[in-house]
Formats: sequence, C-alpha cells, structure tokens
Amino acid sequence: MEKLKDALDFSDFSKTERVCFYIFTVFLLVFPWLGVGSFVKTVMIQFMLFSLFGMGWNTIGGYGGQVELGKAQYVGIGAYTVALMMVWWKVPFWISMPIGVLIALGYSFIIGYPLFRLKGHYFAIATICTSLVLKDIFDNWNLVGAAKGIELPIHEHPDFLYMQFKSDTYYYYFIMGLFYIAIFYMNWFRKSKLGYQLRMIKDDEDAAESLGIDIRWCKIKAYSIASAFVAVGGGFMAVYNLYIDPASVMELSLSIKIALMAMLGGAASLWGPIIGAAFLVPLDRFLGSWLGGHKGLTGIDFMIYAMLIMIVSAYQPKGIWGIIEQFRKRGR
Amino acid sequence: MLVIDALLQGILIGLLFALVALGLTIIFGVMDIVNFAHGEFLMLGMYAVYWTNYFLNIDPLLALPVSAALGVLLGLASYYWLIRYLLRGPAIAQLFGTFGLMLFLQYLAMFLFSADYRMIDKGVLVGKSYSIGPFIFDGTKLAAGFLSLISFAVVYYFLYKTKTGKALQATAINKEAATYMGIKTDKMNALAWAIGGGTVGIAGGLLVNFYYAYPMVGILFVMIAFACVALGGFGSIKGVFFAGLLVGIIMMIFPVFGQIIGSDFLGPHFKFTIVYLAYFIIVVVRPQGLFGWKN
Amino acid sequence: MRSLKFMLFICVLFLSLTIISPPVYAQKEIKIGVLYPLSGALATIGRDLQRAAELTADIINNKTPGVDIPMAQWGGIPNLGGAKIKLIFADHRGEPDRGADLAKRLILDDKVVGLMGAYNSAVTKTVSAVAERYGIPMINDSSTSPDLTERGFKWFWRTTPHDNYFNRDLFELLKGLTEGKVKGVKAIPKAQLQNLAYACENTEWGSGVAKSIEAYAKEYGFTIKKGILYNANSPDLTSEAKALLSVNPDAMLFASYLSDSLLMIRTLKGMKAQTKFLWGQNAGFEMADFAKQLGGDINGVLTRTVFIDKITKVKKVAGQVNALYKKKYGDDLTGATARSVVGVQTWAYVLNKAGSTDPKAIQKACNEINIPAHELVMPWEGVKFDAKGQNILGRGLIGQYQKKPDGSISLEIVYPFELATANFIYPFPGWK
Repeated sequence: MEKLKDALDFSDFSKTERVCFYIFTVFLLVFPWLGVGSFVKTVMIQFMLFSLFGMGWNTIGGYGGQVELGKAQYVGIGAYTVALMMVWWKVPFWISMPIGVLIALGYSFIIGYPLFRLKGHYFAIATICTSLVLKDIFDNWNLVGAAKGIELPIHEHPDFLYMQFKSDTYYYYFIMGLFYIAIFYMNWFRKSKLGYQLRMIKDDEDAAESLGIDIRWCKIKAYSIASAFVAVGGGFMAVYNLYIDPASVMELSLSIKIALMAMLGGAASLWGPIIGAAFLVPLDRFLGSWLGGHKGLTGIDFMIYAMLIMIVSAYQPKGIWGIIEQFRKRGR
Repeated sequence: MLVIDALLQGILIGLLFALVALGLTIIFGVMDIVNFAHGEFLMLGMYAVYWTNYFLNIDPLLALPVSAALGVLLGLASYYWLIRYLLRGPAIAQLFGTFGLMLFLQYLAMFLFSADYRMIDKGVLVGKSYSIGPFIFDGTKLAAGFLSLISFAVVYYFLYKTKTGKALQATAINKEAATYMGIKTDKMNALAWAIGGGTVGIAGGLLVNFYYAYPMVGILFVMIAFACVALGGFGSIKGVFFAGLLVGIIMMIFPVFGQIIGSDFLGPHFKFTIVYLAYFIIVVVRPQGLFGWKN
Repeated sequence: MRSLKFMLFICVLFLSLTIISPPVYAQKEIKIGVLYPLSGALATIGRDLQRAAELTADIINNKTPGVDIPMAQWGGIPNLGGAKIKLIFADHRGEPDRGADLAKRLILDDKVVGLMGAYNSAVTKTVSAVAERYGIPMINDSSTSPDLTERGFKWFWRTTPHDNYFNRDLFELLKGLTEGKVKGVKAIPKAQLQNLAYACENTEWGSGVAKSIEAYAKEYGFTIKKGILYNANSPDLTSEAKALLSVNPDAMLFASYLSDSLLMIRTLKGMKAQTKFLWGQNAGFEMADFAKQLGGDINGVLTRTVFIDKITKVKKVAGQVNALYKKKYGDDLTGATARSVVGVQTWAYVLNKAGSTDPKAIQKACNEINIPAHELVMPWEGVKFDAKGQNILGRGLIGQYQKKPDGSISLEIVYPFELATANFIYPFPGWK
C-alpha cells in the first residue's frame, strides 16, 4: 500500500511539471478520437513502446550509470516466448507474456552475474557481445524458426485473449496502459532504496561500497528490472506485428536505439526516456516516410537525425531534459 | 594440414583486424573514448583508394597515402569539431556523440556515392593468388597482411621511441602528471585522433583491395575491432596486436574444427559467435583484458 | 518558468504535428501503394524497382506508341473511365515493423486501392498480414519465399514464381546435362555431377532456399555433400569457401545478395577453386553490378533469373519495354526490375477487369485474371493465380555469363532448353 502511494505521488515535481503531465495524459487519452490518421497512431504506438523500453533501460543505464547496450536480447526473449507459445500450444497472450518476463528475469540473472564483474567500456562491449551471441543462436536454431522467424496466425475475429484486433486503437490503449504502469513503477523506483543505492554507486562506487552496499547485487537487480520491462515490450511487438525474426527483434541497432532514446531525452530522470522517444520516434518515422519515397534524397533523413544526436550530445550531455532544466534555472 | 592453412589465413586477416583496431585503442588510451565512427573512417578510406584507382588509374597499393591522409584529416576534423565538446559529458554521451557521427558519415557516403557496391578490378595484385608449398594465398591479402605489419611497426616505433610518442604515452597513463610535465593535453588528443584516423585509413585502403566498399561496410569491421580492443585491454597497443591475431585465428580455425569433428553444428555460421563468446569468457575471467593496465 | 512550459509544449506539439492530415489527391486517380527498400543496404535495387514500376505506370497512363501491348494504348484504365494509376511509394528500409506501419498508412491514410511490393520476403510477411486484416488486395511482384503463398491468405497474390520453381529448374538443368538435352554439350555421366555443395545466406530467404535444394536433391537423386548457412554481409568468407571446397563438389550452389556474391566469387578465385558447375540463386548473381564489378571473372557462372535481356531477341514486347527503360535510365531490365513491370501491369489488368475499386470486385478479378503470354515482358506462359494466390504460369530462366571474343560479358539463356541462346559452357572454366 505504501509502495502504491509512493508510485502515485508526484508531489516532489514542480507544479508546472505536474500540470504538463496531466495535460499530456488527457492528450494521450483522447488522441485516437482526434480524427488523426492511422499512420500517426502507429507512430504513437511506437513512441509509447520505445518509452517503455527506454524507461526500463533507465534503471540500469540511467540511475545505475552503466553503459548497457544489449537490451535487444530481452526484446527477443519476450517476443519469442509469446510467439512460440502461441504457435505451439495456443497459449493466450496474457499467460505467455508474463512467462516471457519470467524467462527474461531468469536469463538476466544468469548473464548478469558474470557480466557485472566488468566495468566501464568492458561492460559495454560485453553486453553487445552477449546480445549478438543470443541472436546468432536464434538465427541458427531450427526449432524456433531460425532466420525464417515466426509468423503468428491471424484471427479472423477480434480476440482479446490473444490480443488480436483489427483496429490499432485497441493496441494503442493497451500499450498506453503499459506505458502508465511503467511511469508509476519508475516513479516508485526512483524513490526506492534500490534507486538511491544505484545513484550512490553511480556517483562513487568506492564510497558506496564502504557504506556496505552490495554493489554487484544492486546492479544485477536493476539489470533484471530493466530486462523485465523490455521483455514486456517484446511480447507486445510479437502480437502487434504478427511476425518476428531475429533480425528485427534482436539486432544490435535496436539495443542502441533503446539506449540512445533514453540518453538523448535525459538519463536518470523520470521524463527523460519519454521525451527522448517523443522526439526521436516521430523524427525517424516521419522523415523516413516523407523523404524516403523521393528520389535523390537517400540518406538525408538519417543525416538530419544524426546531426541532432551529435548536437545534443555535444551541447548538453544530460540530454533534452538537461536543456529544459537549464532553461528553467535561467528562468528563475 | 587444414589447421595450419587456417592458422596462416587467420594470421593474415588478423593482422588487418589488428590494424583496424589500433586506432581505436590509441584514441581510447589517451582519452577514454570509444569511437563508434571508427568503422566509417575505414569505409571512407576504402572509398578514397577506390576513387583514386578509378579516376587516376593508380594502383590501389600506391594510393594508400591518399587514404592515410584522408584518415588523418577526418580524425582531426572530428576531434576539433565534435569530440572536444563531447569530452565535457559523461561516457554515455560521448558514446552516442560518436554514434551520431557514425550515422552521419554513413548516410553522407550513401548520399554522395549511392549504395552501390564497389570493387577494385585494376591493380598489380588484384585477383592474383600465389601457391606457397601446399597453401594458396590471395595476393592482395598477403600484401594487406604485410603492410599492416609494417604500419603497426611504424606506429609502435613512433609511440615508444620518439619524444612525441612518449609524451602521448605519458598522457595515456596519467593525464594530470603529463600536464605538470608541460605536455599539452589538447595537442596530444588531436595527435591521437590523427594517428587513429591515419591507421584506419590505411587499413581501409588495404581492405578495398579484396573487399567491396559500400556505405554500411564499417559496422561489420568495427564490431570485430571492438572485440579486439576489449580483448587486448583498452588502450594497450601490444594487447590489440595479439587480440587481432587471436580473433583472426579463432575465426578461421573454428570452422575447421567443426569440419574435422564432422559436425554441421559447429559450422562457419557460428564463427563470430565464438569470437564474441571468447571475448566474454576471457574478459569475465580477466576483467582488464589480456594486456590491459587500465580498469 | 515560461521557457520550461515552452519546452514541454514543444514535445507535445511535436507529437501532435502529426494531426495534419495528408493532402487530398485529385480525382480520377487509382492509388496503389508500393513498398520497396528505398534506403538502407538494399537502396540500389529498391531504386531500380521503383524506376521500373514508374515506367510501367507511365506506359499505362499515357498512350505509348511502339509497345505492342493493348495496355500501352489505354491512356488510363478503360473500364474505370480512363482513370490514371498513381503509385505511392513508401520506403520500408528492409525493416518488417516499419513495413507494417507504412502499409497501415497507405491503406488507411492514403486510401490506396491495393498494395504492391515489398521485395524482402520478411517485410512482405508483415505487410501482407496488414493487408489481410484490412481486406485490401496485395499483389506481390518480387518476393520469392515459398511460404508466402502457403498461408491461406485471401488478399494476397504473387506474380513471380517462387524459389521452389527456381530450384526445380536448377535440378532440371542438371538432369538435362546428364541426358544431353543442353545446347552444345554432350550427355555427361551422372557420376560426374553427383556431388553438390551449397552455401546460402542465413536469412529467411537463404535458409528457405537451402531447405528446398535439399529436398529436390533427394528427389532428383543427387547428393548434397556439404551445406552451409553463413551470416549475410560477412567480413570474410574464406572459411566458408574452404569448407565447400573440402568435399570437392561437382557443382556449387549459392544463395546470396550482391555483397556476399561479389566476395564469394573473389574468394573462390583467390583459392583457384575448381568445380564443374557454379550456380547462383538470383539476388546478387543477376544484378547488373555483379557483372560490372567482377568483369571477366564470372565467365561460366550460372544464375537463375526470370528475365535476361537476350529475351528481347525472342520476345518483341520485352525488347520494346526494355528499350524504353534503357533510354530513360541507361540500364537493361533485370530479373528484379522486369518483375516490377509485370507487377504493375497485373494491377492494371486486374483493375480493368474488376471495373471498380471495390476490394471485393478486385479480389474476384484477381482470382479470375488470365493475362496471355504474348502481352508480358516475361517469358512466362501468362499470369493466372491458383487458389493460394500463386501465379501458376510463371517460370524461371537460367542464364550463363559468357565471355565474348571481344572481352565483353553477356548473359545467355541456357534453360529452358528451347529458349537457349548460346552453347552451354561446360565444365565451368574456373579462374586462371
């Protein structure tokens, strides 16, 4: 109960932030009814999905300060669990998704234990390596469809148990639900004991150790939480796209995208990953959609995208949220 | 027989991997930055030699200075225009700053040269192979291995035997102490980027002799270079040399073992998996890499 | 304080920017959504496909003299009051989820009548799933994974033959060699061609080809001595090539995109590999760049394809369309781009037959369509779909790169036997 209260308590934010959050919530709630196009709706779904990923990454990468670049493997675990259980045994989404999360948790403990012997760049490269190893295994494992991937059967009629709908609006509200659960969880997390311990570790590992914090265990816990978040998103991707293959759910570029959005928005802040996703997802999708079909412009959209990444990283390493805070200080 | 053959092929390709990774490790040693855009320097080096060969009809091996010069310029430009600003931020912002640079260079290349694959077809060694005893070697790969070794030796000599090189080493080991000794950190950083860009430019020039150039080619090699650098120990020159060789050899020998055992499961499709796995295991056992002195 | 609000609102604004709806297009246009990989690693081929599709739409929309297809004299779709076909291109970059999102955009926002594309089989899977959900017809012109038409979809048709056809062609050719049916070659004892080895890229497409080769080898009584799946875009293929050569195969079979096929040929050459028969499954092996980059090194290499410019000698229509394409873009049509031509053409015929843009009418028209052979640029017997949506009248070609006395490389037809334009080079001459 206490925890729930903490999760719903946003009182330590400034009034403006709270008002913005409420406005934003209302905006999201009514969004599908504003007569928007369906592509926009898919963009919003992508935005919330990547916010979810980013908030997960934020536990270990933001609050914990560990350069984690292997989240795609957990997207894959979540997606594959849902897809395989549905194809093999017709297990409903609502059962297979939690199982996927449990598998991701278990796997993250096994991997996390040796992984957190490493620090800094060694850790970063090692996370990439573990993710690539898992991808290679799935790429060659005939039982799970190997590189051919898995197609989920399309149900003719909308089916809540299997999360099969014709209209994206249902998916929209579903991912929105997950999105808010994630926000509330993160709101609790940042005030929890683990949250404080992680920040202490980030600031000064030696000092944290002298205070009796079990550094490795803390990091593993945060890593597992992040993995669970990402696996939920992975499960959603499976039912949403109806087709998964290792190249689309386990690729290195996905790992980088997840971390990039959270970092660019502002690591170690509650709103950072959301802002990052709100910025980069539409940019990516719309630029691609507008410029992609035109001749002679190949690559321009990516060049703009890359410029923005460089500018934000160079100008304000705390990300877009850092820029906002900077303005705020000046405003006072 | 098979094993020896694989070993020799592994050494040849490993030398090139080591040269690709060399710049990465120098830059890292001096300023603790992992340069994601390293592979794109390689790619532009490849294009430099390709176009020189294409327009001026110069043998690709003689065009190496062009790619080296381009690499140096690229290194300096990215240092002065981007990296200096990134240095103020935390490690992750630096990582993504260079990631942005990587994307930018990739798509710039795509915009300028289109996504076509380009291969060199004119050159003294291009397409030639030589039998040495029972083994057959690709002429261009032999040249690449040999020239990599020479470039490596030159850089090694520079770093350990010249005054400037020693100053660079000093900066890498202890920045503050080096500053007290009157070494200008900024200059040293720029120097590291120049050497890093130059060596990878040469590597690109060598690579294009037997590999196709296209805008996304960097990422294939930079992942291996990352593993080499981390395996050898970040910042260690000796380390990266042996790690490069090791990675090359593992890559070539592993499928041969699969063949000897007669198992299809251990086929070539796992050759990179095994490299990454080897890195993971070695680094978990020895968290500072094989020759690392920094943590 | 104010600036903070401002920044936060910018974010919201950025998201809500999207409410601006796309412009309404002029009347009397029939919109077809076309998904191709227009940027990213496959941009080169994607652009070629786009050009071919646009050229075909031009032929349909404007009366084009000198092309002997009734369609060229239409100046729009006759049964729809001369309405013009408008192709709306979308760039999926080879990412399945992006493809699905763009398909939704095309269907719901752009209100296209139907879809075409998407080249990559993996993307075609997600795109066709969207089309199936919304009940919008999709004609696939260029994805060759056999699975695509095995899913029981009601809104999916494929004009191109799929990989099983092509692999069967390969084994027919091998069988033909042993029976002396091939132009310019005497019957070869089967024992000399018994042992095969293949290397396919480890993707949805490549692994499918591998499976199908295994199955046909059994059926035709050949032995697969070695089969390899390798990682696409590999930095090095030495060990793969060595593994293949270790079994001294009589025939080497490949399925790879351009990058790997270039590298594989160079690597094999570097090893002075010897084999009697070297065949590539389309993709990389049939692209114009393959011949351009490798030049004389590919004398004797075989590729499966669906279109070879030599066909223009045999088929008048193909020559006419090819001439138009060459005049406009400077290249000959290839197997991939010619399929895009047929894709758009099929759309035009289907729309004309349906006489309406109602999905149900189009569905019916698709199931009944029968385009005669002489109106196609392809050497097919026509376009006619079976219950699964597969065109049953399509067939593949096998071409052989042959070095001419003047040093130029030309791709000659060697299969089907009756269309052969040159003597088969056997055994594979290898590299000197």
